Amino acid sequence: MNSKSRYVWAYAMIAPTLLGTVLFWSWPAVYSIYLSFLKSENFGLVNHWVGFANYERLFQDPEFWRNLRNTLYYAVLFVPLTLVFSTFFAVLLNAKIRGLSAYRVFFFLPQVTMPAAAAMVWVVLFAQDYGFINYVLGTHVAWISDTRFAMFALVIVGVWGAIGLNMLLILAGLQGIPRVLYEAAEIDGAVRFRKFRYITLPLLTPTLFFTSVVLMIGATQIFDSIYLLIGKTNVALPAVRSLVYAYYQNAFVYYDQNYAAAIVDVLLVINLILTGLQFAFQKKWVIYD
Amino acid sequence: MATRSQARSGKSNWPIHLVLIAASVVIIVPFLWMVLTSLKTVTEATQIPVKIFPSHPDWSSYAKAFEKSDFKHYYLNTAFSAFMKTVFPVIFSSMAAYAFARIRFPGRTILFFVVISVMMVPNPVFYTPQYLLMSQWGLVNTVTALWICSLVSPFATFMLRQFFLGISKELEEAAILDGCNPFQTFRYIMLPLVKSALVAIVIIHLLWSWNELQWPLIINSSPDKLTLSSGLATLVSMFSTNYPILMAGAFMAVIPMIVLFFIFQKRFIEGVAFSAHKG
Repeated sequence: MNSKSRYVWAYAMIAPTLLGTVLFWSWPAVYSIYLSFLKSENFGLVNHWVGFANYERLFQDPEFWRNLRNTLYYAVLFVPLTLVFSTFFAVLLNAKIRGLSAYRVFFFLPQVTMPAAAAMVWVVLFAQDYGFINYVLGTHVAWISDTRFAMFALVIVGVWGAIGLNMLLILAGLQGIPRVLYEAAEIDGAVRFRKFRYITLPLLTPTLFFTSVVLMIGATQIFDSIYLLIGKTNVALPAVRSLVYAYYQNAFVYYDQNYAAAIVDVLLVINLILTGLQFAFQKKWVIYD
Repeated sequence: MATRSQARSGKSNWPIHLVLIAASVVIIVPFLWMVLTSLKTVTEATQIPVKIFPSHPDWSSYAKAFEKSDFKHYYLNTAFSAFMKTVFPVIFSSMAAYAFARIRFPGRTILFFVVISVMMVPNPVFYTPQYLLMSQWGLVNTVTALWICSLVSPFATFMLRQFFLGISKELEEAAILDGCNPFQTFRYIMLPLVKSALVAIVIIHLLWSWNELQWPLIINSSPDKLTLSSGLATLVSMFSTNYPILMAGAFMAVIPMIVLFFIFQKRFIEGVAFSAHKG
């Protein structure tokens, strides 16, 4: 077959994906940036170019800074906690115990659960007067309506949902560490903690770094659990409102699409930085592999 | 295998099991609580002190949730859009991934970059322009709007390309010598070789579409056009503290995926773990 007809086949085979991607994803991404430089009136029928006005307004808005801080605060709590718990359980599961697959199923269950439904049951669990959590702890905390605790409630739900998958990714990393290293350490008389500190942890670093970047990207986009766990009428909402939640409110509740576009473009920049880190690191990883 | 390594370690693992069992219990408490609450009466659900088990299971909340909101449509819309958002991306992406991986053609690198570059962009960035596009096409508040933007999947294209790259050339060359055109080579020789990756892609797309909240919430508002996720959000505003009804609704929304998960556990776990390695 000559190369020209091979080209035709190739273009035909990529056409649906390429056209669909450009129409439904690439163009919207570009248009979203363009929108942030406009001021739209009459539901977008009239558009004025306003330069950086939306960004100026954004950077002078204390609410934006608070939302940005909330988002980062959530990520800073959620990512390390998820990593610590996931690593802990992965190390336990790596001890070649019986029943690994049963534990895996239990830990993984939150991963297949609709976040909206999960948030709803956590509302019931966190309830102040008749909630199971206060009942077990013997406390009387307004977990989701007290500005001091709402963020922790959100983080608990997030970690609960993320342990299953990340534990497995870390377990896979652990299983990649050659046994000889531990045997050598045992001959040297190393105790369990020292083996973890000086063999496991350094060799697990690539996995942990990769996992934390992926978790961080997910954490900066938190929306579902704020929408359903905290809710739009909750007094604690300002204490947990994320960038994506603020985007949603501005775009589809206040119908200020230009301001909303500016918010979400800040998120885009954050995510590009994180993805850049991931790529830079993957290159390094390949060399050391 | 297990017994041998246990014999080698020479001691029982019961402290590890104790910790893992305790953690498993903590992890499944929300599921138990969901079911228990859905079977309580409203009074029992908000009783002080907390009543863990209903005095006798009251199933009526399921019927109420089903009738008073539009659960029939939530199910149909969710299942149908999950189907569309899985089948089409898998077909389109596998074709594109094969071409990108195995055929040399002008513009291959740049076009591939165009497709995968959107993977770096967080989803909310797309929503406003996609909404404007839907409204231009008169699709706001339709079932079509739920799935049309997701007919293609850059993610699946990226993942499958990796798999096609890993297959040796010989089979393919034999097929070409036999007179197969590139599509036939793809369909009959190469596609069967990436079956496990296809299964993983199917599972992850099914799961994503089933559980997605933000886009359905933005694009549709009529009760008969909602999905299970956005339907649950409506249920919350309808029955703010009627916990048995809310939990019955939540249970009905999660149970199909959980049943599928129990049937295909290994495939599910592999599929989701595999998708985490994107990027």
